[in-house]
Amino acid sequence: MIDPNLFQLVCFYAFSAVTVLAALSVILLRNSVHAVLALVLTFFSTACVWLLAEAEFLAIALIVVYVGAVMVLFLFVVMMLDIKQEQVREGFIRYLPVGLVVALVMLVEMLALIGVRAMHAVSMGADPAAAAGVSNTAWLGTALYTQYLLPFEVAALILTVGVIAAVALTLRHRTGSRHQSAGQQVGIDPSRRVRVVKMAAVRAEEPEAVQEETRT
Amino acid sequence: MITLSHYIVLGAVLFCIAVAGLFINRKNVIVLLMAIELMLLAVNTNFVAFSRFLGDVSGQVFVFFILTVAAAESAIGLAILVLLFRNRSTINIAEIDSMKG
Amino acid sequence: MGEQILNQVVWPLLHIVAIVLPLVLAVAMFVYWERKVIGWMHVRMGPNKVGPLGLLQAFADVVKLLLKEVILPTNANRFLYYLAPLLALVPALAAWSVIPFGDRLVLANVNAGLLYLLAMTSLGVYGIILAGWASNSRYALLGAMRSAAQVISYELAMGLCLVCVLVLAGSLNLTDIVHAQAGGKGLFDWFWLPLLPVFVVYFISGVAETNRAPFDVAEGESEIVAGFHVEYSGSAFALFFLAEYANMILVSFLASVLFLGGWLSPFPASWGWLGQGSFLWLLAKAFAFAFLFLWFRASFPRYRYDQIMRLGWKVFIPITIVWVLVAGCMKYFGWVSVGTGV
Repeated sequence: MIDPNLFQLVCFYAFSAVTVLAALSVILLRNSVHAVLALVLTFFSTACVWLLAEAEFLAIALIVVYVGAVMVLFLFVVMMLDIKQEQVREGFIRYLPVGLVVALVMLVEMLALIGVRAMHAVSMGADPAAAAGVSNTAWLGTALYTQYLLPFEVAALILTVGVIAAVALTLRHRTGSRHQSAGQQVGIDPSRRVRVVKMAAVRAEEPEAVQEETRT
Repeated sequence: MITLSHYIVLGAVLFCIAVAGLFINRKNVIVLLMAIELMLLAVNTNFVAFSRFLGDVSGQVFVFFILTVAAAESAIGLAILVLLFRNRSTINIAEIDSMKG
Repeated sequence: MGEQILNQVVWPLLHIVAIVLPLVLAVAMFVYWERKVIGWMHVRMGPNKVGPLGLLQAFADVVKLLLKEVILPTNANRFLYYLAPLLALVPALAAWSVIPFGDRLVLANVNAGLLYLLAMTSLGVYGIILAGWASNSRYALLGAMRSAAQVISYELAMGLCLVCVLVLAGSLNLTDIVHAQAGGKGLFDWFWLPLLPVFVVYFISGVAETNRAPFDVAEGESEIVAGFHVEYSGSAFALFFLAEYANMILVSFLASVLFLGGWLSPFPASWGWLGQGSFLWLLAKAFAFAFLFLWFRASFPRYRYDQIMRLGWKVFIPITIVWVLVAGCMKYFGWVSVGTGV
């Protein structure tokens, strides 16, 4: 008999192990493309961890937004920029001890804080969305469109500004490149392109005879 | 049985890895941006766990907003990075010192 | 113990095989059908040598591809080069787990099915990008860049189309979406009628998503040889091929499920056995869409790259945004009857 709780725990450990290993390789890998791919794996396995917490909408949104769009953007930039690897890696060894010490001290402090609470560890309790009788998406959506409507609108505004800013920053008009303007193409005046000439029909005797000969 | 501590420990480990990444990759802007994404991810994991633990939807709503803002942030960050590389053909932070007085 | 393993492991595995095996067979027959149809449209015979009417041509091709050597280009990134075809194929197959083939005939009846589909289709782009980059070839990289930009652009339009559907249906569950299209009027209850512009945009975006003609600049053989998979041969190429065709069939099924009522019959329920819903109806609808893919390929010249981008960003996305608003109004004021027949 497989205990569902035990199975969940095993899944959690597996996903977390992948997450942590992938996160480590993000900061340690030499090749930037590999680092970006490791970050993709981190996001993916974190989404799995979130699914274990029954946050299904956010987990899939993480995959759609981050793995599907933002990381592709990262990959694009890394592939297009011609980065010399040895140049960006300089100072790696020099800062390694400092980084390790700071990170480890922080980790130990945080774990100590969490450890105090973990003395009386409590399980997560029932899924609040299921308790309310709706799906996680509906649960989140109801809160988002009622209680948090104004922040939601502001977030949309921020995204729009972000899009416009990114385009405005990187857009450049190269001289000499040829573009097609659909508006101009549709809006042309036919009379300026084709001139219909009216003229009387003329009978040409000689050329026709020549054509007849060549045809036979 | 998964407890709240499991999630918080995972978040803490992720956050510390990101901090270490900021220190040891000081020259590479791309890895710096990625380390920031990792930090936000760690924070989001905590929000999701607490939202589930307390049965409060606000945590998940907050994750939603963080995702939105972080997406906009990385889009603009990468745009600046491309612009920087186009003008100075380097992404090494140490060489971007033209504003030094 | 034994019964539990049977229920939790063996049955789901059998269900997966029951979906994937016919899918692979369908891809093989679809390739044959494509060559035949395009042959007829060109006024030639198409494949007719292998087996009766050339029916075994696809299997001969598969055997040929599997027997060929997989060539690794010099300076290619070995790990990513071999990983890329798998990354292209896995999402293409994984997406099938939420497609409802009939009432309660679905592998995973999840609540967020539509979101899951969106996530899976957005993962497919990694196979393409990595194939292009790992091949260490200019043509491959160019093809990958074109393809990735195109897929991401059209995903926006596609996502907004899905938003229109789920606004009307009021659910992310694909089975519920089909139920929401049931009604006494047969095919006039389906979502294609209130969402007609979105329906057209969705299918054209689907064609662009799968990098098919006339949007196949990613592998336009007259410009960049074969695009991202130019360096692939043998079974690695076969995997890309399988992924592309599985995606085409997936888009056909999805268009049927989202806009043409899935397994529902086009006739009113009062028409006896003709009015009953069945898997065969879904198959017929999906087949019609799959045929459209081939028809497009035989009919239209290839779009230029900037024209594709213009169509996606300046035409499709504004149309779908406006129609999200219209769909919201339809729902709010009750202009469409949703799920009256359930």
